[in-house]
Amino acid sequence: MYKKYFLAFAALVFSVSLMAQSGGVKGTVVNRSGRIPVGGADITLSSDGENVASGKSAADGKFLFEGIADGIYQMSVKAAGFIPANVNVTIEDGFIKDLIFVSLVASRNVAEADDSSFAEFDMEDSGYSDAPSILFSNDVYTDIVGFGFSAIRFKNRGYNNETQDVYLSGIKMNDAITGYSPYSLWSGLNEATRSKESTVGNEVSEYGAGGYNGVTNILATPSSVRPGWRFSMLTNSAMYRLRLMATYASGELDNGWSYAFNVSARVGGNDWVKGVYYRSFAYYAGVEKKFGDEHKLSFMAFAAPGQRGAQNASTQEVYDLMGDNMYNSNWGYQNGKVRNARVRKTHEPVFVLKYTANPLENLEASATVLYRTGKNGYTALDWYDAPDPRPDYYRNLPSYFYNPNSDYDRNNELKAAWAKEAWISNMNSTCHLNWDRLYNVNYNNGVEQADGSILRRSKYAVEERRVDQNDVNVAANVKWTANNLFTLTGGANFKWNRTEYYKKLDDLLGGDYYLNIDQFAERDFASSPTMIQNDLDYFLANGEAQQIARGGKYGFDYYAHIRNAGIWANGTFNYGGLTANIALEAGYTGFWREGLLRKGLFAGLDDNGNEIFYNGQLLTSYDADGKVISSKGKSESADFFTYSAKIGASYVFQGGHRVYANAGYYTDAPTFSQSFISPRTRNTLIPNLETSRTVSADVNYSYSNGGYDLRVTGFWTKIMNQTDLMSFYDDSQNSFTNFAMTGIDQRHMGIELGFRIPFFLNGLSLQGALSLGEYIYTSTPRMTQTIDNSAAVVFDNQPVTYWKEHPVYKKAIIDGVEMYEVDLDGNYIVEKTRKHYVPSTPQIASSLAFNYRTNSYWFFTLEGQCFANSYLDMNPLYRTEMSAAGPDGIVTPMEVEYMASQEKFDPVFLLNLSVGKSWYIQRKYNFGFSLNVNNILNSRNVRTGGYEQTRLIDSKSGERYYRFDPRYFYMSGINYMLNLYFRF
Amino acid sequence: MKVLYKIAAAVLAFASAVSCDEFGPVFTGEYPQPGEYEKVQMTATHTIAELVAMYKVENPMKIKDDIVIAGKVSTSDRTGNFYRSFYIQDETGGIEIKIGKTGLYNDYKPGQTVYVKCQDLTLGMYGYKSGNYGGNGMVQLGYEDPDGNYETAYLDVSSIIDRHIFRGEFGAPVEPEVITESQLPGKSDTQATNKYVGSLVTLKGLRYADQVFALLYVDSNKDTKLSSNRVFLSDKTHGITTWAMSKAKYKEYLSSGVWDDVKLGNANDQNYGTVAENKEQLLKNTSAYSVSQYFTMGNTEIQIRTSGYSRFADTEIDPAVLDGSKTIDVTGVITMYQGSIQFTLIDISGVKISE
Repeated sequence: MYKKYFLAFAALVFSVSLMAQSGGVKGTVVNRSGRIPVGGADITLSSDGENVASGKSAADGKFLFEGIADGIYQMSVKAAGFIPANVNVTIEDGFIKDLIFVSLVASRNVAEADDSSFAEFDMEDSGYSDAPSILFSNDVYTDIVGFGFSAIRFKNRGYNNETQDVYLSGIKMNDAITGYSPYSLWSGLNEATRSKESTVGNEVSEYGAGGYNGVTNILATPSSVRPGWRFSMLTNSAMYRLRLMATYASGELDNGWSYAFNVSARVGGNDWVKGVYYRSFAYYAGVEKKFGDEHKLSFMAFAAPGQRGAQNASTQEVYDLMGDNMYNSNWGYQNGKVRNARVRKTHEPVFVLKYTANPLENLEASATVLYRTGKNGYTALDWYDAPDPRPDYYRNLPSYFYNPNSDYDRNNELKAAWAKEAWISNMNSTCHLNWDRLYNVNYNNGVEQADGSILRRSKYAVEERRVDQNDVNVAANVKWTANNLFTLTGGANFKWNRTEYYKKLDDLLGGDYYLNIDQFAERDFASSPTMIQNDLDYFLANGEAQQIARGGKYGFDYYAHIRNAGIWANGTFNYGGLTANIALEAGYTGFWREGLLRKGLFAGLDDNGNEIFYNGQLLTSYDADGKVISSKGKSESADFFTYSAKIGASYVFQGGHRVYANAGYYTDAPTFSQSFISPRTRNTLIPNLETSRTVSADVNYSYSNGGYDLRVTGFWTKIMNQTDLMSFYDDSQNSFTNFAMTGIDQRHMGIELGFRIPFFLNGLSLQGALSLGEYIYTSTPRMTQTIDNSAAVVFDNQPVTYWKEHPVYKKAIIDGVEMYEVDLDGNYIVEKTRKHYVPSTPQIASSLAFNYRTNSYWFFTLEGQCFANSYLDMNPLYRTEMSAAGPDGIVTPMEVEYMASQEKFDPVFLLNLSVGKSWYIQRKYNFGFSLNVNNILNSRNVRTGGYEQTRLIDSKSGERYYRFDPRYFYMSGINYMLNLYFRF
Repeated sequence: MKVLYKIAAAVLAFASAVSCDEFGPVFTGEYPQPGEYEKVQMTATHTIAELVAMYKVENPMKIKDDIVIAGKVSTSDRTGNFYRSFYIQDETGGIEIKIGKTGLYNDYKPGQTVYVKCQDLTLGMYGYKSGNYGGNGMVQLGYEDPDGNYETAYLDVSSIIDRHIFRGEFGAPVEPEVITESQLPGKSDTQATNKYVGSLVTLKGLRYADQVFALLYVDSNKDTKLSSNRVFLSDKTHGITTWAMSKAKYKEYLSSGVWDDVKLGNANDQNYGTVAENKEQLLKNTSAYSVSQYFTMGNTEIQIRTSGYSRFADTEIDPAVLDGSKTIDVTGVITMYQGSIQFTLIDISGVKISE
């Protein structure tokens, strides 16, 4: 297979020949941080100090020098507000050398434009990940880390995804419900969204004051898309097989119009995880009109519709049984074809209207309206009163039948051997979903109707969990340059969001209908006809539960309503090499739930406000405070006022040195998804919701001169008072429970280092990045646990004792037996405490790479990466006193150390290689390729994340609990990505 | 332009190279529906009575010979009164197959013929008690239990089940036979001596005996053998008017105070106070509980035992039945426990007020 690709590729490479003509140089002068055209830049071309040609860039940043003889030239580019750039240009074979972009760095960022600014290899466009560690690179550190660390799921500075503020055309796009950066909305539109401006850490952007993890604004306007045609074809072995992309942008035409489109398709499976596939498409179209020099109106529409098969984490036992850490339990064969039960299906179009005005020389203003709509679904198996169909269900595994520790009371070795044998022989599809069986169960569940027909009730079905958003945003920004000393930016924004959550019946798997009842409620209320109803109103009207046909809504159905509003301002002072700024932001967030169905468990009051009775029995229930627990209608609104303040200062020294520092204080509202105890079933908010508070500061030094680049940053962030919410089956309660945790504090501190050093050989450089951090939990949160079916409170505001750390007790070896020592009072002695860490990212990450670029546009990179100190996500249940105590209620050192400890992953070393080249053909055509081979050492034991299962195993002794095995995700082994592009 | 053609050709070659055998496994259209399972045909070597006859009391027996039995599925775990197992029945009797999975009625339909390859399975009795007050329990087919806690264990493992239990043709549900008092099994009967043991039958004219039996635990997470952890409800009705009690119903009974005077502990060890004195603990650890409701058929005592997890656990017994003014006809499986008849309903439709 690899061989086949190579031959095709080789045919391509050797079929290209180059031709010679008379020469010149052209390109577009752009702002480095975002490729915004810089007009009026002074450009001088010189040879050995002699001026050969000079001119200014046009308003769209373009320039062209023709009739230049072959040779090596120095080009200098100067523009107000930017650091002057000097570039070596080689003109050969009489070509008009197209530099594509000459990037200028705003004077607050010091860097010298070098060769890498020109050759537009598709390094940012790796195609691997929709969620890069850092969205956009504008310095040496982020250049390396941005995509280079995404395979290991590196989180920069340990921050969660939702702390990255992502804007599109000036509108903050972070999901209204979860706060996540919604990369998937435009994934596959790499060209249309390529132009970006971004800040790092606590820096302020021109689009919003931002938080502590940077701001990225994607321009997305047609005039910001690289003009001309561009086609690319990409194949990779870790995600999807093929990506095809086409882009065209007009650039700004003489009549003031610009237009652009970008379409792509990503299809196919991969070499590593079976069942994972893409069938995703993407489209973008934009049109823009400039009216005079003062007004500009743009309209853009885009979406990334498609399907994606998902992967599932399994326990190590399962991976070992399969002999494959990339095993995926989500799929099985149906009539010989791989069918994945978990498929993400989305189509969420976004429409943007943007108006920009330059009424005065020193005043820029813009206003944007953005509307997002469409559907977002995720399929999963659903079943009713039938065996769990998942192949890696714990009762299907050998460990369920045998454990050498007799206290597990699992002592049937023979059964364990048979269970293992089934996995090895894949008997009756032990290893994969058995679709045949699911269909046959449904086929055979028919009941003859009065007319003689058979009506089959599906016991297994595929559901689609839908999260359909309607999101309207308005934002306005101004930038006023008062004079050389002072610039003021500011803006206001508003968001209206209504998201509908519901389940839709995706496939009945051979049956005729699915019954709309709650099987979890049935466990506790089997004999109650009303409590088990998902739609009580339907039951009361019809005397039976609704039979759901394919495509029908069932289970739950509710709206999340969200309102956001904010204003911000930033003042920047410039004096000589000194820049200082201060920014303030204030905001409001409000949200509420609106249930569209009346659930049997929480009937509430009827539509007229009266209690509901059925056969004389009161269905309305009340909480401990005497308030009605309701599922239908509107909840109380949760309202939060937030604010933040930032200051920053920067000083540029002669010779490319810069010292700068930023600090900020932020308050953030909890998100809707963190705020309702059980949003599927009821309107109850978590009590005492509060905003989280964050203090963050960074100090930086950068140096850039003569091809040397360096940045060193120290950062310190404390995040306080966060909330988290989860729902799980609690074995100690024998019930499905909701677990709300409040008062979670974390501290993130560390240093970042990035450098690039030119080597003795022209074009050879060494670059490296290091992120050395400590991200820990620093508080003992409180938890409230409730029973999902009854809203009964199990634990009310109790500490999660071992969340931030756990004690390690002093041991002594007595007569060859390890014993815990006690002091004179008989208490166990705490020897030390072990910290618990923010999980799912390496806290130490480093990269060292050799780059070699030739004048004939070849490049080679060989990179070694090291990652360490990555930890498994903790479940809070295991950190409670209750879990450590076990059923007997007695906490012992052994139980604490066992139950509360956090797993640390092994360190990782990876080797990656990239090679690429571009060719110019007949002056106007540009063709190139890049090939990345990642994880050359084919490490297949690299854990990238996972989670602990929130379940407890009872012991035979009744003295303690045991944990369920955790589930892990692994990184792909050796994989390649080949990208071919062609543009003119 | 030649160069461009070459590029185009190469691109096409490349596209076809990546597309051929790579896109096959990814299918995103409408999947064709799988066919129906083929029904197994086998020949029984033994009847159920012949198989059971091989069992000797207190001697669980791992079957060495290649024995095949066949029978129709006579019970269903749909309502939860049978749990993790089902009975199959031939003309000589019925036997419980201890499968060990839930939701069995989805895969083994009542009336469906099931073949059991018995080799390597274990025949054992559940509910045997020696002595004058004891008697036989039920002979079951399961797996060997290395602990020896029970004579048989559940099969549990899919690959064990699939190697021994085979699904045959669907068929009409088993017709319950109406039997008289004299046909009821005695305390030493098994399927080998009385074909109604383990069979689906109808008993007519059962009269309420004003007595229940239930064993409750103060905390079921703790040692359930401890006397201090036990509450026996026996000898009278204790106000229990339902077939069993779900968790919610249990809480209701407990809170109502009808058991307040009952003492904790085994009959000869009752120094742990009353239910009223331990109510806080009891209310903290609510659970569903099985109940035996006592009836008489003529002079024979019939316990109708119902699981607290069954869907009809909280169904009220007709007051006219409880006060003795009416009798009931019941359809279910005759099982034996320590020599007594424990009648097990499959569904609440198995209870009818006598004509």
